[in-house]
Amino acid sequence: MRLRIEPSSGVPISRQIADQIRSQCVAGALKIGDRVPSVRELARELAVNQNTILHVYERLNAEGWLETRHGSGTFVKSNPVAAGHKNAQTQELLAQLRRAAQQAQLLGISPQELHDMLNESMSMEPETQLIRRTL
Amino acid sequence: MTLAISIKNLTKNFGSKQALRGVDLEIPIGATVGLLGANGSGKTTLIKCSLGLLRPTSGECQLLGESAWSLSASAKARLGYVPQVINLYPWMRVAELIQYTASFYATWNPELTDRLIKEWELPLNDRVRTLSVGQKQRLAILTAVAYQPDLLILDEPAASLDPQARRQFLQLLVELSEPEQRTVLFSTHITSDLERVADYVAIMKEGKIAWFGSLEALKERTHTSLEDAFLEIQQGVKHG
Repeated sequence: MRLRIEPSSGVPISRQIADQIRSQCVAGALKIGDRVPSVRELARELAVNQNTILHVYERLNAEGWLETRHGSGTFVKSNPVAAGHKNAQTQELLAQLRRAAQQAQLLGISPQELHDMLNESMSMEPETQLIRRTL
Repeated sequence: MTLAISIKNLTKNFGSKQALRGVDLEIPIGATVGLLGANGSGKTTLIKCSLGLLRPTSGECQLLGESAWSLSASAKARLGYVPQVINLYPWMRVAELIQYTASFYATWNPELTDRLIKEWELPLNDRVRTLSVGQKQRLAILTAVAYQPDLLILDEPAASLDPQARRQFLQLLVELSEPEQRTVLFSTHITSDLERVADYVAIMKEGKIAWFGSLEALKERTHTSLEDAFLEIQQGVKHG
């Protein structure tokens, strides 16, 4: 984990560190399950007071980015931004499925038939789908 | 005893000049305190009085629970001090000076000594008088921290260090302030150094403490950078 402190930027050091850890999670430089340095290690490396690092880790724990497991260290737990993003995509898919179900009812397709169609389309390779569509 | 330093209504006059005009300061054990102040605001006089190196005109100074003016040998052994003007025996070689200082302290840490000699590239065979200002300062810091004092007082420790050495020194300061029972007081006018390593800040103005508290509290109160907060306090803007 590489962090950079700009001491005279006017942005509090704790916020600089928290922002950089969050953005590294979003950018994928830090992945779920990665171990981040201990409070002591990071304090020494950055030459920043231990309490400052401790406050940052506590905040990121509370926000769900990090998880401190006593005895084993601090790890990247989840990525709230990415999680939120996935959630939005799932909602969109659900809406599309609802429209498809309505369409099936109009065409008199039974739920079983719709299931079969869904299974079939999920097992198809994307290329095959493309060929079918062109045919 | 929960206070490392306790100062009550301390004054110090040099002839007709009042250097300290009633300082009150209580520093809890374990704190890392940055003492900030303009040139001539009384930082060095306060440090020297609180160490018992200068006799106060009036008021009280307690260090590690003892009167600063009559510290016991055991209290002195728990005290590390790096003065602003470094005075080390100029005729000694670096290795000799380190060995000599080490012989006074039962708590001397040889591993820490070796590590710092290496990290700071101290020339062991050179005479102290041939060292640069920055090298002398590093040597003085080494001899003050290697016996792992409970109270470490540094007067402008980073002033003559080059950027790399300053960074190494700040890292060392963070490391040194790790033990919970260790108190560190350092004076500086580099606000960015203070912001990195301190958890408390004391701001001196015209021989008095104009502000003392946690760094977080100061920033919450002023909603500005430490440098701006310092300048505001210097200019007499009231907070709270």
